[in-house]
Amino acid sequence: MTDLALLLSLIVLAMLVIAGALAARRARAWRIGRAARVDWAAGLMALPKRYLVDVHHVVGRDPYAARMHALAAGGLLAGSSLALIGLIPALGDARLFWWLTALAFAAAFAGGAMVGRRRYPTKPARLSGGRFQILPFLLAAYSGGGFLVALDASLGGALRPLGLLGLAFAAIGGIGLALQIDRGPMRHAFAGAAHLVAHPRPGRFMDERATALAPLDLDAPRLGVAMPEDFAVNRLIGFDACIQCGRCEIACPAFAAGQPLNPKRLIQDLAASLQPGGTNAAYAGSPYPNARPVAGVGGPGLPIVGEAAMIHPDTLWSCTTCRACVEECPMMIEHVDAILDLRRFQTLELGALPAKAAAPLMELRYADEPGGRPLTGRTDFAAGLTLPLMAQKGEAEILLWLGEGAYDLRYGRTLRALVTLLQKAGVDFAVLGAEERDCGDLARRLGDEAGFQRLARANIETLARYRFARILTADPHALHALRNEYSAFGGTYEVVHHTAFLDELAATGRLTLGALEAARVTYHDPCYLGRYNGEVDAPRRLLDRLGIARLEMERSGKRSMCCGGGGGAPVSDIEGERRIPDIRMGQAAATGAGIVAVACPQCSAMLEGVTGERPAVHDIAELVLMAVEKAGTAPARSAQVPA
Amino acid sequence: MRIALLLSAGRHRVSGRPAPVPVELQALRLAADLAQTHGGQSGGTVTGLHAGPEIGPLTDALGHGLGHLVHLRMPAEADPAPALTAALEAGGYDLILAGRSGQGGEDTGLLPYTLARALGRPILADAAALAPGAEAGTLSVEQALGRGARRRLVVRLPALVTVHPAAPAPLPFAFAGLRRGQVEMREAAPSAPAPHEVEERPYRPRPKLIAKAAAGASAAERLKAATVAASGGGKLLVDPAPEEAAREILAHLRALGLIAPR
Ligand code: SF4
Ligand code: SF4
Repeated sequence: MTDLALLLSLIVLAMLVIAGALAARRARAWRIGRAARVDWAAGLMALPKRYLVDVHHVVGRDPYAARMHALAAGGLLAGSSLALIGLIPALGDARLFWWLTALAFAAAFAGGAMVGRRRYPTKPARLSGGRFQILPFLLAAYSGGGFLVALDASLGGALRPLGLLGLAFAAIGGIGLALQIDRGPMRHAFAGAAHLVAHPRPGRFMDERATALAPLDLDAPRLGVAMPEDFAVNRLIGFDACIQCGRCEIACPAFAAGQPLNPKRLIQDLAASLQPGGTNAAYAGSPYPNARPVAGVGGPGLPIVGEAAMIHPDTLWSCTTCRACVEECPMMIEHVDAILDLRRFQTLELGALPAKAAAPLMELRYADEPGGRPLTGRTDFAAGLTLPLMAQKGEAEILLWLGEGAYDLRYGRTLRALVTLLQKAGVDFAVLGAEERDCGDLARRLGDEAGFQRLARANIETLARYRFARILTADPHALHALRNEYSAFGGTYEVVHHTAFLDELAATGRLTLGALEAARVTYHDPCYLGRYNGEVDAPRRLLDRLGIARLEMERSGKRSMCCGGGGGAPVSDIEGERRIPDIRMGQAAATGAGIVAVACPQCSAMLEGVTGERPAVHDIAELVLMAVEKAGTAPARSAQVPA
Repeated sequence: MRIALLLSAGRHRVSGRPAPVPVELQALRLAADLAQTHGGQSGGTVTGLHAGPEIGPLTDALGHGLGHLVHLRMPAEADPAPALTAALEAGGYDLILAGRSGQGGEDTGLLPYTLARALGRPILADAAALAPGAEAGTLSVEQALGRGARRRLVVRLPALVTVHPAAPAPLPFAFAGLRRGQVEMREAAPSAPAPHEVEERPYRPRPKLIAKAAAGASAAERLKAATVAASGGGKLLVDPAPEEAAREILAHLRALGLIAPR
């Protein structure tokens, strides 16, 4: 072992000590958080799989970033570990060992160079500057320096002058990197690992949907999150895991619309509030668009939301809860849960929700319907059709949940199409009629957990009176609530979306479809169906049965973009520069499609609200009905499953 | 400043379920704002008062910014006025707020006047905004008149003020406020049943009277006739002699065809 190699090993040791101390200091800060039920042992066991499979699945969507990260992180870890165990004489004296070490550092250097190439000469807007801009230099210095020292050692000290130079670089770069561990870019490494171990939704790594909001204990001393310590400890860890890659930012519809929300900035603000006397002054990424002025100070014991705090309330209320940020985040951070926790405090404790959002919640409280409309009016859309009532039948194979869309004149047409199709297919179904209350989705997303729980319990009680095999609904929000969120209150149902159900009917030949020739259709995935419930195939399969040309938008499937209608955003109505549905309609028009197929009353309403020259908006049920009617006149095409 | 707020048993206008009366929640907001921003060094307090058999969802007022709610329990048919008068007198309130009308039974807009008479206090109707008067012990009231007009009046406290639906929207409901709030139940002294039987039936909006334009008039003329009628027209009599006022009213009703021509 050369003396330089020994010194390199000692530098790594010093880095380890510094990083360890800084990480421990940061980890102590997490302890202010509320206790969380975490299965640490299982999490630790699962860490390699969560990291290598789940994280890389997300990272891999950007192949450049994936290669860059594999080289930089892999090389850095391998090189440093090797240099460290080089302290063991038997290894340290082997030239081959140092040759291996040099190889690892070379890989890290290549990764560092890729980091640099991504940021220089121009840094993409989604990436943060500041400390992040010096990262490639530190990486290059450390890995390049390590390479030279190891190379020198592998040659038995033949390149001593180069080795000396390398050692200097390695020392500067290495210590520099270690110093970044508690607040700089390197924090993601240890906080990210801890976050993967203690993740608040372990089901995400086990192919579960894991998208239901956790119920709030309404007897808790404080409802929701006011201060950093109100977050569970594993949530706090999650905020620190953010690497400021900005993937969430470019996915966020509110950000794109110029509303004052940037999920990346939000997570940074939350991470900064963990520090006593914390400010967000060091943040060097894109701001909240049209940011409302805030004091920008926070810390334990201080409120997070408010003009005198870190985050402006408008930021909170801009979110459509579309989960696009969560879907894109390579660090598996749960932005929507954090936003909901903050909203719950604002709504339940302070009653500080946007003025226009208060009215529907009030109507819900006394009329079980956010528009204050009569529950008997829910079936008005079906005038002229026979709509069997559960109250009369007592049981049916399918319980048709109508949802809020039933009150909407436009969406009523969709429901009429659906009911007509059910009748044509001879489905045994019934509706609750006036016994159906709002499912509580709006209340819950606006933070009114008390209202949601009341509605959920009331609906569960109603449903318990009837016998049915499945619940069918055309409303993905109701579907999500009934399928995933009611179970916490004792209501477990098999819920099927109308797209999947119609697909089933077509596949089994109960509906005969004609071909809608020459129609060019693009399908807009509803967030609550695609991202929340993973149903992206059935609607497409169904569309493909209609003999149309199906075109995909720039963003589709689980990575689709929100229409702007979720999370109570239409009633909160936070001002931006553009409207989210206009942006989405632009993407639809860009495919050259003449029809945007939708599968949700919210999407239907939002996209129909787009003015000017644009593709027509039709729910899939309407298209299927057209095809069925075509089949009645034209020679029928037998239903077949496309390969 | 001590403020009392009268809360009546309302019903949701569509579902018919028991609910607070919206205009009373608006009154609560005016009271809460007044108490908070202009409470003086002692700070203001707002106490809600309800007289009736059940408090029901009126406790929700606690979620809309009310700190303290007093329920004067009495049988449904009892007259609430004596119990309320006694409670208001005992409470020593500077300001008593009520909605301009309730939603059923004896919660009509008449009760505030009955109470004002019993308490011997001035009453001012249809406030849309409240602020402390320039002089101590007075209240500046913005009164809502027809067609969005406003009139500012100053009333000397203690007084009774009813609130108009044109007042700002209620404070949003906060569940934790309801959880924190206190309801104090008091048995009201027995009183005679309310004097009048009132017939109750669902409200139905009546068709509006639209002034007719001459047959064959142009669309513009018809529009003008319709909008002129809608914007009131009529005559403004300032301080008329009673005889003259009565004559004018009769003439007007006759012109509308509501009473037989002489
Ligand atoms: S929250 Fe996730 S996606 Fe957003 S910047 Fe941070 S790491 Fe990237
Ligand atoms: S859920 Fe959607 S709207 Fe909300 S922050 Fe994430 S991407 Fe933005």
